[in-house]
Amino acid sequence: MTERPEAAASSIARPGETLASSAAVRQSVTTGRSQVRPVKVIRPPAFSVGTIFSGLQTLARYSDLLWILSRFRLKVRYKQSALGWTWAALQPLALMTIYTIVFTRVTTVATGGIPYPLFVLCALLPWIFFSSSILNAVHGLVLYPNLLTKMYFPREIIPLSYLAAGFADFLIGCAILAGFMAHYRVLPTWNVLYVIPIVMVLAGFAAAIALLFSAIHVRFRDIGLAIPLLLQVWMFTIPVVYSLQSVPVRFRKLYLLDPIAGLIENFRTVLLRGGRPDATSLALSAAIAFACLAIAYAYFKSSEATMADII
Amino acid sequence: MWALSDISFQVEQGEALGIVGHNGAGKTTILRILSGITTPTRGEITVRGRLAALVEVGSGFHPELTGRENIDLNGAMLGMRSSEIRRKLDSIVEFSGVGQYIDVPVKRYSSGMYVRLGFSIAAHLDPDILLLDEVLAVGDAAFQAKCLDRIAELRRAGRTIVFISHDLAAVYRLCDRALLLDHGRVVADGPPRQIIDEYQQMTFSNDAGPVGLAEPESLAQCTSISFSAPDSTDGIRTGHPMVARLGYRTRQTIPAVVFRISFYWPSGYLCAQLTTDSSQGGLKLGSGEGRVEFHCPVLPVVPGLYRVDLSIESNGQEIEARQRCATLNVGPGKFVAGDFYIENSWKLVEGASPEEKSFH
Repeated sequence: MTERPEAAASSIARPGETLASSAAVRQSVTTGRSQVRPVKVIRPPAFSVGTIFSGLQTLARYSDLLWILSRFRLKVRYKQSALGWTWAALQPLALMTIYTIVFTRVTTVATGGIPYPLFVLCALLPWIFFSSSILNAVHGLVLYPNLLTKMYFPREIIPLSYLAAGFADFLIGCAILAGFMAHYRVLPTWNVLYVIPIVMVLAGFAAAIALLFSAIHVRFRDIGLAIPLLLQVWMFTIPVVYSLQSVPVRFRKLYLLDPIAGLIENFRTVLLRGGRPDATSLALSAAIAFACLAIAYAYFKSSEATMADII
Repeated sequence: MWALSDISFQVEQGEALGIVGHNGAGKTTILRILSGITTPTRGEITVRGRLAALVEVGSGFHPELTGRENIDLNGAMLGMRSSEIRRKLDSIVEFSGVGQYIDVPVKRYSSGMYVRLGFSIAAHLDPDILLLDEVLAVGDAAFQAKCLDRIAELRRAGRTIVFISHDLAAVYRLCDRALLLDHGRVVADGPPRQIIDEYQQMTFSNDAGPVGLAEPESLAQCTSISFSAPDSTDGIRTGHPMVARLGYRTRQTIPAVVFRISFYWPSGYLCAQLTTDSSQGGLKLGSGEGRVEFHCPVLPVVPGLYRVDLSIESNGQEIEARQRCATLNVGPGKFVAGDFYIENSWKLVEGASPEEKSFH
């Protein structure tokens, strides 16, 4: 070191500028810490199984952020709106009403004796959870470019927080569904507990699609434009407004390759029909959904590295 | 085209490293790679310890959320756990001075409050390694001083700091070592004073008009600035003479001209100013080149590095202004304690002196 007189450094700071409250901060600096310093090696990104594990490790460290961000998503969404949380119920109820009118007055579909409003609402809830999570996640990742260019935290937290917020809406919808079930005197059996694995697979698949599409959307904004159309078409390829029974038997194997189709049919079976889920179809949905999730997560993590540069 | 290439350097634990260089030299890219915002195309970086990066104060704020909620959110984004944020909440609020507005959505904050809250959160990070990018460029002078205080405190606590700034005085004051970057390469690595000198030489040799950018339409331009010590070869020192030479060029005859050289403390406060006389209505300049020489028989400012702004006024209107275009590096000379050296002579008088007032 060349001459660095302490007098120079200290006399440059004028007395008036030193603010009294810095004492409060001083307490927060703990000198001489004993914990082990984590070692992190930064390398060029690679698409591999390793990225999944290191990614999940980092994600676990930031789990508080995922929780806080999800909570604030809900808070912000209904801020300055007069109806507030009612909006979470209005969307499925409105769709239920319109589909009930179309599919009982204009044309009819076989529901196996289940009242149509209940039949369609039961499928609309998981579908709306799935589709709105994806839609919000894709747009949400690019909504605040500053978050990507000025801060570091695992980027998947942004799409996943929209998923968590969508899940809260889904729970509100389920409460309404329970009301409808009581109204129509459709009582659940113990098989209703199968809802838990079904919803877990559903959330896993929604996460897979949300991660994949939101990562591509950073690069190609076509995704954001294509997604509403895709989701609209997708809804009619799965048993939401109609039942799986309406699909010709020879197409069913192919049909159930779409995890969502099997999941929604199973959701309806365990809730409204009181039956067990179709094990083959649930296992197939789970296998495809989690395989997609692993691939989508690895892809997301490998493209995360350049998101800040291309957004 | 590489933003950075063939860069290799080490920062020791407890060291404060400054990185200086022109816009586009790759300073921010280094910081982005270190913090994980982006990754290198090639090469490897090893980071030992918890690292936090502050690229922009308050950039993770959500306008709809209240100050308190944004503390939770921003703290978590910067890598704090919820329990840590809760523990430090009171201290963060107090330091920010936002006080009673803490439960108001930040979209209703003034920009000053916004920045103060943002920095306050970051100031309570307790990482092993802290990366700072131009955080001192925002906020008022008091805020900048607060930032500097806090950074100095972290240094005393043995934290490692990587500091990127155009404010050379701040780099000089805070850092033990500096890197000079040019076109994505490290061109110099050494003590801050030496690196700052090299950076300034580079600035002056790179440009045809040596001081920053020039607007061709302006009536007058500052073309050079230099400081020299006429009586010594050790450079400029406190209590010794100094000569400042300000070169200019004009396109036409300009009436009522006043030249100013302003010296700023690292904190951003104006420290002193040299100006040509305006009492007679200013100078009348012919067109062409010329220079103004200020002769200061005794330089009263304390040792340190001062930021220099230049300006030319005509009829009370600023027609040319160059901010942060140079620095004045004052070495230790005559003894000084306090803010200024006072030129004086003294003598000892013994015995009672009835005509002078006594202290009691």
